[in-house]
Order: sequence, then structure tokens, then C-alpha cells
Amino acid sequence: MNVIEVSNLRRVYNANVGAIRRSHKEIVAVDGISFHIEGGELFGLLGPNGAGKTTTVKMLTTMLIPTDGSIRILGLDVVRDAKKLRSRIGFIYGGERGLYWRLSGIDNLRYFGSLYHLDPQATRKRIPELLEMVGLSERGEEKVEGYSRGMKQRLHVARALLHDPEVLFLDEPTLGLDPVGARDLRTIIRNLQAENKTILLTTHYMLEADALCQRIAVINKGKIVAEGSPAELKSIVSDLSVIEVEVFGSVDDFLPTLRAQSFVDALSIENREQKQVLLIQSPAGAEAVSPLLGLLAGVRVGKVIVREPTLEDAYIRLVEEDV
Amino acid sequence: MSDLSNLRANLRVIFSAAEMALRSNLTDGFVFFGIVIQPTIIALLAFWMLRDQGNDAIIYVVIGSGMTGLWTMALFISGQAISGERWTGTLEMLVATPTPLYIVVIGKTLANVLQSLVAMVATYALAGLVFGVLPRILRPGMFTLSLFFAVISYISFGLIISPLFVLNPQVRRLQNGLEFPVYILGGFFFPIALLPGWTTPLSYILPPYWAARALHGASSGGAVSDILFAIGMMILFILIYGMITARLFQRILYKARVEATLVRQ
Repeated sequence: MNVIEVSNLRRVYNANVGAIRRSHKEIVAVDGISFHIEGGELFGLLGPNGAGKTTTVKMLTTMLIPTDGSIRILGLDVVRDAKKLRSRIGFIYGGERGLYWRLSGIDNLRYFGSLYHLDPQATRKRIPELLEMVGLSERGEEKVEGYSRGMKQRLHVARALLHDPEVLFLDEPTLGLDPVGARDLRTIIRNLQAENKTILLTTHYMLEADALCQRIAVINKGKIVAEGSPAELKSIVSDLSVIEVEVFGSVDDFLPTLRAQSFVDALSIENREQKQVLLIQSPAGAEAVSPLLGLLAGVRVGKVIVREPTLEDAYIRLVEEDV
Repeated sequence: MSDLSNLRANLRVIFSAAEMALRSNLTDGFVFFGIVIQPTIIALLAFWMLRDQGNDAIIYVVIGSGMTGLWTMALFISGQAISGERWTGTLEMLVATPTPLYIVVIGKTLANVLQSLVAMVATYALAGLVFGVLPRILRPGMFTLSLFFAVISYISFGLIISPLFVLNPQVRRLQNGLEFPVYILGGFFFPIALLPGWTTPLSYILPPYWAARALHGASSGGAVSDILFAIGMMILFILIYGMITARLFQRILYKARVEATLVRQ
């Protein structure tokens, strides 16, 4: 059964531009997207910065009114039935804001418990359980201002779960966390899914999406460009190999020529410490290495690897195609 | 949820929000200045000027100073009850709960108003220190009743300005300019009869004026009918503000969800 149904969703922001001659500009953040999420499913919304992920989540969580289209969650309309819906959903937005820093973690949770009209005795019992679950039992009495970013994020998880919502929206929950913090949070998300919560997760970390999500929609420039299981999305690039070429110094001048080659399907660059890595998706596999190095004449080249494509490569191809 | 349990839950939120605001204000230097330092300085100057005038003048100053604390807190701290939450990113979290936002603002404003009564107590004690004798309140019963409605009327004022400050930044720019004129037009330290006649209608539309009139009247043994009239005017303003507030909150939340301004980026 579908718990979330999104149909032709569109959201336009109005902005004023220019300091002296002010003019009005419309920015389309979400452009007619449709998808559904089944009960107990962990669904990923994947996309680059500015793709429309957060805007979509804010509309799903009743914080923004859609310009067009409809969203039904648990059979309720997010605009018309916002009040009824709010006690049945929980959300966390990435980042450290949204907590009362001068209060302790426990006081924050107690306050939100009263805002959700929870029974005070039940809240008192639930708070230690939640703090235990997010690994904050030892620090619950401390003021939030002394928490690390990861601790604040985990407190947000506890806050979102306080009223035991059926549906959870997690908007880039691991953004800015160190690897250990991110891993701990992923474990928490996995446990929540085991409790049969319906979860929508937005992220631009492929490994996270691959490891957690049953289905993924890739969103770019406000449109959904692909949807399916991680395996289905990977199959988009199954006929390709990925050639990783380490280069030192700028290669920007070479990019147009490389992109124009028939054996180059998609190309992206990653910065790794003092070197850059060219990631080239090619149907020619290892045979493309030689012509490729020929085109990079004069550039200091390090290691060259030919490997199988991952979800990240599928994502790069989808986003590049859209460009 | 039944109406009764809903009411009980909302009352719990009011007390939780008040407790939160009190704890938060305890560490805020501006609040300490607004409710203790500023009223004390004003009271000391006024005591010095009116030192030969007797009990009536002293109690007038005590109440006037207390009123400055109430007004400063209502204008600056309660006025920012919503915009402050927006700056810290907690407004979205509040809106996402089943509690109506105005319930939270009532709790925060209640804390601010009760806290600012400290100013009145502080200046009362100061008067005792300066003159060696505590000034007398001649109609304590009426004074208590007036104080109760003064607190409610300041809460209703806080409720109306907090969404106005969010809806219209121009109103917020007037914030500083509104502080001292209301000390004068509200008759906090001297009767408004001493002011030019054209300012009287302005005083009449200010709830702080009626609060000051009721409290001054009760403390100096004024006519009961006049005190009750002032209390009636406070009740009238509370009702008018209540009706406007309900619409303002609906409007501000809808507008913020359309314009994406629930949070400051």
C-alpha cells in the first residue's frame, strides 16, 4: 500500500534581483515530479546540490505549500490536512539548527514532548530510551551548545521520533558528519527501517543510498531523471567500464576534447588531496586507455585503473546526460 | 483528542514555553538591563526629583518604573517571540507540531511579563531604601485586580506585535522609536493631563495607558469607578487584540509557507 503519493509536484520561488533596478524572477525548484513510497519502504531521493531535494521534503513535511500538483501521505492531503498529518510524521533537516542551544538535550526533548501533546509521564519514560538509542545517554543533561555536530544531529533524530511517527523524512542527515558519526547514524536509520517505519531519505552520498535504500529516485534540476532499485540504476551503466586516471595540475583545457570522443560516455573530475582523478565512463573499457593517454599528452599522469561501474557512476551519467 | 484534554495539553505547552523562556532569559544580559538596571536608573532619577512630594509621588514612581520594565519586555522580547525562533531555525520545528503557534507565544510572553514585574518589586524595595519607609498601596484589592489585567493586556500586546514584526519589517524598524514615547503617552511617571491636548487620543488607544491608570489609581486610593473603567478598557483591548491576533497568526503561517520564510537561511 502506498503511504506517500506525489503527483505532478511543482514549486516555484519568487525572487527579486538587482539592487537598484529590481526585477522579479521566478525560480523553478521542483518541476512536475511524481513518485510513490510504499509502507515500510526506505526510499532515497538522490541529487546534486540545488536539485530540489530539500524543497520536495519541505513540501512533504507541510512546511511549504506546493505551487502545483498534490501530495498525499497516509491518505491525508499535505495542504488541506496539514494539522492532522503533523502528529503522524517526523522529520530531520540536515544541519545544527532547530534546537534550543541554551537548554540541555533532555530539556529540548521534554519541551517538544509537550508541543506534541504527549503525556508527561510517557515522555519521561521515552526520553531515556531515545537517548540510549541515539547514543546520547551520557550527555543528555548537558547544554546543546556544547554538543558536536554529530551529537546535535542525533538529538534531532530523537526529537523526530519522540511522538513515534509512522513516516520519517530525513533530509541529508549525515551532511557534515565525520565518518564515524555518519556510520552511527546509518545504523540508526537501518534500525528504524527494521521497525517498519516508512522513510524518505535525501542524500548526495551514493554509498549511503546504495547501502540503505530499497528504491531510489534521481532528481536533477527539479525533475526526476531515473527511478528504481540501486541494482536497476546500476544496470544503466552495466555496458560501460569506468577508467580512473590520476592527473596532477589543471586539465580543464583538455575536457572539451575528451568529452567529444566517441569512446567517452560521461566524464567527471574528483579532487583527491593534491591530485585530480578523471572518471571516464566508456563502452570501450581497457581499449580506451591508450587513446585517452594520447589525448592527455603533456599532462603528468599517475595511476590508471579500469573498473566495474558503481551506483555513483550511474548517478554521474544520469546527471551528466541531463546537462 | 477531546476539547478538555486538548485544553490541558495546551496549558502544559504554555507552562513549558514560559519555563523555556525564563531559563533562556536568565542568561540574556539585555533582559537583565530591561527589567532591573533601566527601571532602577529611571526610578532613582524620579525619586530624586520628587523627593519632597510624599507617598503618592513615590508609589507613582514605583509603578511607573515597573511599567517601563513591562513595556520594554513586551516591545523587545515578546515582539521577537516568533522572529527569534525563525533565526534559530526552531520555528519550523514548532510549526510541525500539533500545538498552535500562538499557544507557544502566549507561554513565552507570559514569562516575559511576569519576569518584568521584578522591576516593580525592585523599585518598591529601592524606594524603601532611599526613603527609609516602604510606600503604601491604598487599595490593595483593586491593585491586585488591575495588575492581573495589566499582565493579560501586555500578553495580548505581545501576541499582536510578534506576528506583525514578522509580517512587516517596517513595523520592526519602529521598535526603538516606540519605547520612550509610550513611557510618556502611557502616563507612567506623570498624568497625561500635563501633556498637550492633541496627544490624549493617542494615550487612549494604548493599553499601557489604561494599565498605568488603573494601577496608579489603585495605589493612590483613586475612585473605584475610575479604576474599574480603566480595567474595562483593558478588557476591551484584550478582546480586540485577541480577535486580530487569531487572524494574524493564520495569515503569517500561510504566508510563510507560500513564501518559504519559516526559516532564515
